[in-house]
Amino acid sequence: MDFTFSPEHIALRRMIREFAETEIAPIAAELDREHRVPFEVLRKLGEIGLLGVCFPQEYGGMGAGEMGYCILMEELGRVCTSTGTNVGAHIGIGAMAIHLDGTPEQKEKYLTPLARGEKIAAFGLTESGAGSDAASVRTRAVREGDSWILDGSKVFITNGGYADIVTVMAVTDPTLGARGGITAFIVETDWEGFSVAREEDKMGIRGTSTAELVFEELRVPHENVLGKVGEGFIPFMKSLDMGRLTLGAACVGGAQMALETAVRWAKTRKQFGVELAHKQSVQWKIANMATELEALRSLVYRVAWLVDTGQPFSQLAAMCKLYGSEVASRAIDTALQIHGGLGFSRDFPLERGFRDARIGEIYEGTSEIQRIVIASNIFREHGVRIRP
Amino acid sequence: MDFTFSEEQEMFHAMFRDFSAKEVAPKAEELDHEEQPPLDTLRKAANQGFLGATLPEDYLGAELDYVSYALLIETLARDCMSTAVTLATHVSLVAMSILEHGTDAQKEEWLPPMAAGEMIGSFALTEPDAGSDAMALQTRATYLPPLTGGGQEGGMILDGVKTWVANGEIAGLSLVFAQGPVGVEAFLVPKDATGLTVGYREPTLGLRSVTFNTLYLESCRVPEANRLGEPGEGWTVAQRAQNRMAVALAAAGLGVSENTLDVAAQYATERVQFGVPIAKKQAIQSYIAEAMGEVEALRYLVYHAAWLADQGGDFSFDASVVKAFGARVACSVTNRMVQVMGGYGYMEDYPMARKYRDARALSIIGGPTELHDIRVAQRIFADLDLEIAP
Amino acid sequence: MQIVVILGRVLDPSGIVVKGKAGRIFVNREEYMLQPADRCALEAALRIKDGTGAGVVALPRSPLPDDDVLRQALATGADRAVYLTGDGFKGADAAVMARVLAATVERLGGTDLVLVGATTMDTGQSQLGSRLAEALGWPQVIGAWQVEAVDGKVRVVRQEGSNYVTAEADLPAVVTMLSGALKPRYPNGVRLINIYKDVGEIAEALERWDVADLVSVDTLKPLLERRGRDFPPERERGVRVNGTLEEMAQAATDALQQRIGG
Repeated sequence: MDFTFSPEHIALRRMIREFAETEIAPIAAELDREHRVPFEVLRKLGEIGLLGVCFPQEYGGMGAGEMGYCILMEELGRVCTSTGTNVGAHIGIGAMAIHLDGTPEQKEKYLTPLARGEKIAAFGLTESGAGSDAASVRTRAVREGDSWILDGSKVFITNGGYADIVTVMAVTDPTLGARGGITAFIVETDWEGFSVAREEDKMGIRGTSTAELVFEELRVPHENVLGKVGEGFIPFMKSLDMGRLTLGAACVGGAQMALETAVRWAKTRKQFGVELAHKQSVQWKIANMATELEALRSLVYRVAWLVDTGQPFSQLAAMCKLYGSEVASRAIDTALQIHGGLGFSRDFPLERGFRDARIGEIYEGTSEIQRIVIASNIFREHGVRIRP
Repeated sequence: MDFTFSEEQEMFHAMFRDFSAKEVAPKAEELDHEEQPPLDTLRKAANQGFLGATLPEDYLGAELDYVSYALLIETLARDCMSTAVTLATHVSLVAMSILEHGTDAQKEEWLPPMAAGEMIGSFALTEPDAGSDAMALQTRATYLPPLTGGGQEGGMILDGVKTWVANGEIAGLSLVFAQGPVGVEAFLVPKDATGLTVGYREPTLGLRSVTFNTLYLESCRVPEANRLGEPGEGWTVAQRAQNRMAVALAAAGLGVSENTLDVAAQYATERVQFGVPIAKKQAIQSYIAEAMGEVEALRYLVYHAAWLADQGGDFSFDASVVKAFGARVACSVTNRMVQVMGGYGYMEDYPMARKYRDARALSIIGGPTELHDIRVAQRIFADLDLEIAP
Repeated sequence: MQIVVILGRVLDPSGIVVKGKAGRIFVNREEYMLQPADRCALEAALRIKDGTGAGVVALPRSPLPDDDVLRQALATGADRAVYLTGDGFKGADAAVMARVLAATVERLGGTDLVLVGATTMDTGQSQLGSRLAEALGWPQVIGAWQVEAVDGKVRVVRQEGSNYVTAEADLPAVVTMLSGALKPRYPNGVRLINIYKDVGEIAEALERWDVADLVSVDTLKPLLERRGRDFPPERERGVRVNGTLEEMAQAATDALQQRIGG
């Protein structure tokens, strides 16, 4: 077993780290304070090719595989969760759906500009009545000639306020459920009938757009059906699966940042005549943080390898997301505690990390859903079918 | 053992609930988003006697016992932790210090205006290099003798910087701790004292309506008559103040935990996913049940500590136990309840996010949990004849 | 037009700690970065390429244990790179490198401009550019902020004292770039992946030459012999004064008087 990263991945990480520290870290606080999306950063990432890091070179991507994408998400997560979230929604679920299930024509038309960063994608799944229960979506798509007419709305859509392309899930046959009744569509946001209704005011990841999308008699050509009619649930679930892994990778970065910050403070801050590093309660916190981080790191990169070698990964990807979000939350919380009042102050970046990390256990499948997925997979192997 | 509140305490509790529902709850979100101190609420609270909650009637106080006072803090914190912490700082840290250590003249001068809400108190102990290690004060108090032949009165000159002073910019009176020639001394410094400047307000993760300021003392003159307690007794004043505040903060933690539990449980009955309200899912049930266990344990710990305070005598051990536990419970429960609410627990136009941010303060303010743990361990091992230094 | 860029590497300073008292440099994290000044040289070359379509060839500043520096150059946009290797090549100093690089440039043929960093970050060495120009017999412009290639000449903006001066030289010429002069671009993602995976056209652009084919064994003998390393003496610590304002003022005055000897 060879646990080393290959040369191209080492070189890739080195480049992304420099980019992250030079272009993103200095503005991370400002993005949060001003509640703005880092468009200029997205543009620069696109120019390098990073917005298509895992997509094939023939479709404008970089061809660095899921491993490369995890490295990107880790390095972004280390400096700015908001930037990582914009990128993750674009690559990991928005464009990914087209990469996994698009026809060559759809990939040529949509994936290429997305991979090049010329356009940005979003993933239109969640509705106010369909959160964890994603299958109970109500957005309706009715066939009319060679088009489909979409009506409905989506909420909490990351990148929704500015995306050019949204992959939307809609009900095409209300009599059938997730099996046969739901279809995925590639929607261009400048089409008539598409609008953005509102932006959410969030506790964290304030450098992202989380929007409500409204479809009013939105006409979508039949050639924009992604996958087969009635089988829309499949590409969506596949995208979410992949997304879980890379969210775990982002959590590696976030936990890494928490650990580095905590160690730096512990070796500098003196109370009771000694540096905090000499206090056992601090040592224990640091040791626990570091151990969980390493366990997560190993898990995430192993799953990236499974994906890149075409092996089953869905179960382990759910674990990456579940464990990763909890490890990152614990790490940031512990780092904040080590910093005392400074950790509570908005003049220092930890409280932003604390607010940003909290969404990890909620979006893209709550920790509860991940647990259901994991338990279901285990029991299925033993012949027991679990319903959520 | 009678675990019930007295009839009088129940009556007070109902009064507190009414007040909070009318004056505190409606303003909480806006105060947090605008980061404004709850001045209007304090005025109204003063009319109810809350700003002199535990002070004797002679000083215009409401003469509440500690149990009733804890009920007040708990009730206010259910709706707005910032309001609760602002009030508790004023009462437990400042007013009660004057009551316990002040001369009659000092009590008569400062307590009535504090009880009437004309003067809010702030507590200035922490410094940039004296956080957990509060004893390592660098703020100095030097004695300035009077000029013979009159012309200048004697007094104390205070020099130093205080940080994280709760109620800093809304206070008319600051309780300032400084290193004097024989040890730590406590001083009552009015807002208009020469050489006192209230500076930078710390932007915070939570408790955004509490004003935390930096105080600059530059040759700040205070009359000797403003020394609270004896020279060198300042450390005792600080510790006792912090013990009282520890119980109050734990009561605030109880309030915010209960409220988030109630809100999340209600949500769980309304939110339907997979065809049923999520309250029917066992995982949600266990989150609620575990949180309930934590809340109940905290409740009895808080009221036991308050009851001990009412008995008189030293309750410092219990203060540390309840503060450490209260912080853990508040952070744990609010975190879980955010999870129950899912995406809505993350949006700032719902109260859960704010309460999660507010609760997080409890592990840090009033002494970090690690410090209280040391105090508890110190007492346990002292009883076994082993001395522990922090 | 063909531009040769010379690039070297240096230990990332954030991974090392210099302890004068112990007389040692502790390498906590052995990671290398490109010499910042050489990166500016590469950026300058690529900007000329952007404007004129010139070809850029990357060469190493010193003997390297691997070709990573050259792969980085190719990933960033160089068209061709040559990794130099061979027995007797280790330990080459600036004098030796100048001769080796001159021979390499001559073997390449068709070079109009050589760009290299003015000074190395770790050793503060500024000789290479000048020695190389001498070895090639070309004009040299040292310490450039900006470089342009126009009509068979190179036009350089450099700092002289507090002035900025424009200098011109006929091509072919050697120009050394100041670190911080230009913001270097990031590598191109596709080129990066392909060169490190050794696939595609870009992989063929990396060549490997033996110095024995370029220069004689004698040429490889360094001019300098390194005999040892010393650290400057520890700075004397000051005196800390505590106490009341009066006490501190007195102690400070006393200490100063002692120093001045008054």
